[in-house]
Amino acid sequence: MIHHLLRAAILTGFALFIVYLFKTGEMTLYIAPRMEPYVKLSAIGLYAAAIYQVYAALQRRMGKHEADCNCEHDHEPSPSIAKNTLIYGLFILPLALGFLAPTGTLGSALAAKKGVSLSGSPSFERKPEVSPAPISEEKTLDALFPADEYTIDHAQYGKILYSLPTIEVPEKQFIETLTTLDLYREAFVGKEVVLSGFVYREDEMGKERFAVSRFAMNCCSADALPYGLMIEWPNANEYGSDEWVSVKGTLKTTSYMDNEIITLEATKIERIEAPESPYVYPDLEFAY
Amino acid sequence: MLKWLFRFGTPVLGVGCLIMLALIVTNRELPTAIFTEANFQSFKILFISIILEAFPFILLGVLFSALLQVFVTDELIQRITPKNPVAGVLFGALLGLLFPLCECGMIPVVRRLIRKGMPAYIGIVYLLAGPIVNPIVYTSTYAAFRTTPEMAFARMGLAFAVSVIVGLLLYKFMKRSPLKGMAAHAGVTAANNHGHDQDHADHHHHHSHEHGASGKGFRARIKSTMAHASDEFFEMGKYLIFGALLTGIIQTAVDRSTLAVFAEQPVFSYLFMMGFAFILSICSTSDAFIASSFSGIFDFGPLLAFLVFGPMIDLKNTLMLLSTFRFRIVLALIVLTASLTFLGAWLTEVFL
Repeated sequence: MIHHLLRAAILTGFALFIVYLFKTGEMTLYIAPRMEPYVKLSAIGLYAAAIYQVYAALQRRMGKHEADCNCEHDHEPSPSIAKNTLIYGLFILPLALGFLAPTGTLGSALAAKKGVSLSGSPSFERKPEVSPAPISEEKTLDALFPADEYTIDHAQYGKILYSLPTIEVPEKQFIETLTTLDLYREAFVGKEVVLSGFVYREDEMGKERFAVSRFAMNCCSADALPYGLMIEWPNANEYGSDEWVSVKGTLKTTSYMDNEIITLEATKIERIEAPESPYVYPDLEFAY
Repeated sequence: MLKWLFRFGTPVLGVGCLIMLALIVTNRELPTAIFTEANFQSFKILFISIILEAFPFILLGVLFSALLQVFVTDELIQRITPKNPVAGVLFGALLGLLFPLCECGMIPVVRRLIRKGMPAYIGIVYLLAGPIVNPIVYTSTYAAFRTTPEMAFARMGLAFAVSVIVGLLLYKFMKRSPLKGMAAHAGVTAANNHGHDQDHADHHHHHSHEHGASGKGFRARIKSTMAHASDEFFEMGKYLIFGALLTGIIQTAVDRSTLAVFAEQPVFSYLFMMGFAFILSICSTSDAFIASSFSGIFDFGPLLAFLVFGPMIDLKNTLMLLSTFRFRIVLALIVLTASLTFLGAWLTEVFL
């Protein structure tokens, strides 16, 4: 009976934990929005299982044996106390961590482990530059944004961005925008760009550079990958790692660790509050 | 669990020692810097997020398994499973199209199917192919590799081929039941499915007694479903949580760029990507996006190996497999799928 009650307690704990995460909004730290409905549903499943465990415990109490079924597996948990402590401890550990430990966000420490991509999504390869003599306005735009069948969306999006006086890197298409800026860097050099994220630095960046980064998440934070844009600013070391900043600057290209990357020569840096969801998500419907 | 600890404690210690040795050789400091506040936060978030993400699928898996147990008779399962081994293996490899479960939910279902008389090699083929050869994973792979649509086809094809070959080998060489605690029940060979039935005779007797189609009311069945599902949830859950714990630690502690040094050599790049898939333990619906983030660094072949090996075998599901299957079978599965994936991915790279 004690087993049933323990299990009921653990199941209820997990269900409450899920509800708690949704209530406090912390769920966005762990799970991408498109997975949230499933996690909500699983809370209901966990509740139902907890109720069943209480019911089974009561049945035990009244001397009835629970749903007899002689299938091969043991319904009876192991009699060893050490083993049970270990197993239930394993279940209680995430609950204890979740409820008791303070909640932070993923930041520089993990970004360094995973390696920040400073040139958008690497699955789109840059084409060698072709610059034929421009004839008309329309022609120029097409020449600036050459595309094949895979980069056609980025080229279209690039043309839209190109017409803007200031390019603000949006939350919703963070990766796609960085990828576009990187793909068509020749077109965008000299443009004004604004973006926000946390400060990330590597030793090689020195005192005058850092990267403004965001974690991009697909399903859960285990698959989150950091993307960023290099910032140049004379007093860059005034900003601590993991501080949230909004940066305005002019786009140019520099070389970093033997690669040519796009870089923002900052004209203005502002400290900002960390946004509610520190992550960005790949826009699966990205199409133009 | 204790026995399990003793069994694996030594190898784990061994690996620990090797890591220390590697650190000494490469003249690095002992990573005391690992125990920082920031790393603790990363670990906590990764650990809990893997558990939360897997919960819906595990619940679905145990519920589906319990429904199978209570509402579907063994005879029905045996009747719809093809008797011919080749047809059976193909059936197992394509079952994912009908029932697209991901790997966490898969293990309880496959175990149930095998216990209910589906030949074990077919069940294992479903276990391997199911998380990849299904429409959901195809779509996400296609979306992640927009610039190389061959990847989605190659992934489906190679996963199908690997699982079929593993299935045929198992059919030929696996004579005992692969499930734990079923030593007495032999007969995995489909050719003598009748022998199989007889071995299970006394078990069947009980079953028809307890869960017989007409014997019990609906309420009792619901109750029985709940009992099975919640038991199995705890059985699978402990391995899931332990796997999430290890994955969280590894992801926070191990620097990806130091591993990528090994990726310079062509052979190592395959091994690296497969090893990486193993320790990442992410769901087959999202791993394509991770793989595509590597497409600047790695060639087609290693990425394909990552996409095929990861969903079949990873840290989290190895622990879950060990809860269900014999140690030797799990080992054989890991070795077989790893070498076949390696070979297949390499051949694809060469010929494509």
